[in-house]
Amino acid sequence: MSEIKESELPGIGKKFTLELDSGDKLVVVIHSSGEREVFKFIQDNDEPASVTTLADEEARQIGAILSGTYFQPVIEEAQKLTMKNATMEWIKIAPDSALANKRIEELDIRKKTGVSITTIIRGESVIPNPHSGEIIKPQDTIIIIGGNDQIKNFISTFEIKHRLENDRQ
Amino acid sequence: MIVNESVLSLGISLIALFFAGFLATKVNQSLTAVFIVVGMILQNFFPVTIITEFIATLGIIFMLFMFGLEFSVGSLVNNQRKIFFNGVYDLLFNFPLGMFLGWILGYDLIQTLLFAGIIYVTSSVIVAKSIIDLKRSANPETEYILNILIFEDMFIAAFLACIVGVVNYGHIDTKGMLLVMLKTAAFFLFFIILSRTAKKIIDKVVDIEHTELFIILILSIIVLSAGAASQIGLSEAIGAFLAGLLLSETRQRHRISEAIKPFQQFSTAIFFVTFGMSIDYKHAGSLIPIGIFIFVVSSFSKVFGGYFVGKKYALSKRACLRLGFSLIPRGEFSIILAGTIAMNTNVPYPVKSLTGVYVLLSAILGSILMKESDWFVKNFFESKGKEFQPLGRHSAKD
Repeated sequence: MSEIKESELPGIGKKFTLELDSGDKLVVVIHSSGEREVFKFIQDNDEPASVTTLADEEARQIGAILSGTYFQPVIEEAQKLTMKNATMEWIKIAPDSALANKRIEELDIRKKTGVSITTIIRGESVIPNPHSGEIIKPQDTIIIIGGNDQIKNFISTFEIKHRLENDRQ
Repeated sequence: MIVNESVLSLGISLIALFFAGFLATKVNQSLTAVFIVVGMILQNFFPVTIITEFIATLGIIFMLFMFGLEFSVGSLVNNQRKIFFNGVYDLLFNFPLGMFLGWILGYDLIQTLLFAGIIYVTSSVIVAKSIIDLKRSANPETEYILNILIFEDMFIAAFLACIVGVVNYGHIDTKGMLLVMLKTAAFFLFFIILSRTAKKIIDKVVDIEHTELFIILILSIIVLSAGAASQIGLSEAIGAFLAGLLLSETRQRHRISEAIKPFQQFSTAIFFVTFGMSIDYKHAGSLIPIGIFIFVVSSFSKVFGGYFVGKKYALSKRACLRLGFSLIPRGEFSIILAGTIAMNTNVPYPVKSLTGVYVLLSAILGSILMKESDWFVKNFFESKGKEFQPLGRHSAKD
């Protein structure tokens, strides 16, 4: 991956220079006003061959397209494949649950069932990627991910009664 | 009914500014130059009143405050060596020339120094705007231009503080000079220490939700700093500049800038008009030849200075010349230098009027020259067919 050079243009904004493999240079200037300019310099030329000016909103859209969040042809297919056999489950923790008031590491969920806890929803707050030392509390909702069999295994191992089928609240 | 008349004349000035400014933006001309011309014309209809004079003073204070607020301390610290080297180079090329010219014109020492500052300082407002308009912000020479501008602005701020101090002291002797330098240094140091040690406290103090109270607090900080500077015999402008620097590192910086901008734009416009009104109309005609002469000479030294800075970083010939040409426009700071100090007008070439002519020439012609620098390169520096020769190697960062 090419290195991006960053330099300040006092009174104007910030400049980012990316040397492309072709030897050309792509320079992005972010103005203090929020406007972006994209310059293309061919080889060692010191005058831009082209300039594109983008408003803040336009730049964000283009950015999303370039980074692949708008449309991801290859990766999306891969995602479907993995999701065929994987399930996410929202599980409400009852006060008498086997999971309640235990640290994630002492439950040893991954080893016993193959399932991972991706998120804990506790009232208004959300804990993504909870630490293994995190304690699961009664009334929490946990989001788990795993293969269909693993999820079944999890439910039977911990005797889960409150499954919230994709009900996020 | 002095008040009523001066309010009416202020209104007339403003509407004149609007129409002139409107036309100026249509042809993409610098507002500074146009506002001065408006002032020159309006002096035939009514005099400068107490009100306009007061607003003009505020204009300088607000301008310097905004300047401090938008001053990038970060890039000054990060690129200090580059800024220092390039800045000193530019200073050595142009400041002594200004002193020499001042001496030829028969000015006394203070006026000569002041004139050197006027000749030396490039307008960062005009140049930055032109760079953006001409789509040159990504060009290799642009960083060096901006570095030089930072140094110039910093230098002129300190210079202004010193020279106003000397004028307020009354006469020039070693003791007085030393005293002024000490005072200036102490004042700068006080603000620097304050901004370093009390950063968090300042941040909290200016974090006020209430819009009206927020503006009043910020205004009080500006005016108090300006007043304090004036109290110890320095320029009010420098107090405002340091207040700006002090607030530039707070999280409220953007909000402060938004709040003060309307005040600044209004009062600065009036400042330029007032300056234009003080230019001796009949005298200005005879000043044009000498103005042109000074413009040509000082432009040459700017271009050469800039060219050598560019050469040092191995920029191509074209880039070097663009760098040099971009330093020609003079503007707001030259006017401030000429406008803050009341001077003896009993000389063949009064500094104020000459500065007016000079700034008009360099603001208008300077931006044109900036745009057309490539034309010069093609016609004077390159023989035909040489155009596609590989241009000099350079790196964006040192």
